[in-house]
Amino acid sequence: MSAERRRRLLGRLLGADGPLLGIERLCHVCVDTTGSDGASIMLFHDGASRGSLCATDGLGALLEEVQFTLGEGPGIDACRDDRPVAEPDLAAPAAPRWIAFTPSAVAAGARAVFGFPIRVGGVVLGALQVSRDRRGPLTDDQHADALVLADMAAEIMLLLQAGASPGELAVELEQGANLHAVVHQASGMASVQMGVSVDHALVRLRAHAFRTSIPLVDIARRVVERTLRFSPDGEAAPDGEAAPDGGNGADP
Amino acid sequence: MTSQQTLIAETMVTLADNLVADFDVIDLLTVLADRCVSVLGVSAAGLMLAGPDGTLRVIASSSERMRLLELFELQAEEGPCLESYLSGDAVAQVDLESAMDRWPRFAPEAIASGFRAVHAIPLRLRGEVIGALNLFQDDTRGIDDEGLRAARAFADVATIAILQYRAISRSHELVDQLNTALNRRIVIEQAKGVVAEREHVDMEGAFEALRQHARDHNLRLSDVAAAVVAGSLRPTVASPRLRRPTS
Repeated sequence: MSAERRRRLLGRLLGADGPLLGIERLCHVCVDTTGSDGASIMLFHDGASRGSLCATDGLGALLEEVQFTLGEGPGIDACRDDRPVAEPDLAAPAAPRWIAFTPSAVAAGARAVFGFPIRVGGVVLGALQVSRDRRGPLTDDQHADALVLADMAAEIMLLLQAGASPGELAVELEQGANLHAVVHQASGMASVQMGVSVDHALVRLRAHAFRTSIPLVDIARRVVERTLRFSPDGEAAPDGEAAPDGGNGADP
Repeated sequence: MTSQQTLIAETMVTLADNLVADFDVIDLLTVLADRCVSVLGVSAAGLMLAGPDGTLRVIASSSERMRLLELFELQAEEGPCLESYLSGDAVAQVDLESAMDRWPRFAPEAIASGFRAVHAIPLRLRGEVIGALNLFQDDTRGIDDEGLRAARAFADVATIAILQYRAISRSHELVDQLNTALNRRIVIEQAKGVVAEREHVDMEGAFEALRQHARDHNLRLSDVAAAVVAGSLRPTVASPRLRRPTS
């Protein structure tokens, strides 16, 4: 039964493109088999999201970014608690959770969110996140598919990483990944501006994003473009007159 | 159940118990060697495992006399353990007195150590042989069929445990590599930001300065980046064309 499930999902992963095994395809297969509107694979290390390996357009990418900005959500809980997380009615949850994530996710159009840990042995590598624009739980079958896909994601990640040069991320993993490079660049710049460590600078950037309801990556882009800077007391101030164009730039 | 069957069952439980928390290959194989002696009634037992290069090493022995003889076997490059490992088959109950031609160096040494008969079982799962189990006896009474089946079962449990342990270790190694690569990337981006802000250059100029410093001082880029982020290094921006005009 489980072997049959694995065979069927593996067949879909390989798909019409032939035997090219890619992690990007997994998110699309996940959206199809779970009847969802978005999916993403989040990387998790040292208690925090490190960006995503893949995300479907729209809801998948939006929620990945919301979680990265706010540091909470279904994928992060799935990683921290090492178990599947389900919120089938995000707009009216039975018990309140994710004080910051929930309003942003609902505003982005999500009504139900699910997270599945991606683990190897006892180690959690990340999470498969699934979201829908309508409320309601996953069926047992969809839930079982998502669990197997999370397992497959772990296998594929290791299989691809096994071929990488030492110290490098496998090229195949890199292709669809969004590691939010611009956020780390901005942390470096803001740390000099404020005279604090880069980790502390990231906390300040996050706080500013939360306070202004602007996505962290957009805040970061403004810092890197030098249209926003932080003073040593941590206050943000526009740097120059140009209005930032935060919506469309790609991370370098 | 006979008392031997009870002992065999107990040994299986002990071996399985060794597979869970804090698994250690040497501990497992030491338990196995000792149990071969107490359960099978042999005089001594020892285990050899092949290293990554395929060379056998003595991992566990039930006695010092046994360990020295196994080391001799490896040095002499002949004997039951080696044969069993290379062929993948058991070397069945060989009387050492009649094995002088087969093992001209090993047989006399084994007899001098007080042994009379040997038996070796490969540690094998399907096509893969990872080592061998050696059983030695002071007399030529032999091991009965039930004892041989038990020895085979012990060897199988040990083999599966070791192969699983190796697979998990390899996975964890890859997970570590992946996370190291991610951290490296993050630190490099952070360092680019630090240099860009301090030296008033763009990200490309900052990256070039980091790379130049790494090249000039024969350092790894990620180490240079880590030092910049920690505040202990300030690489110079060499090329003026990379400077961003200050407003």
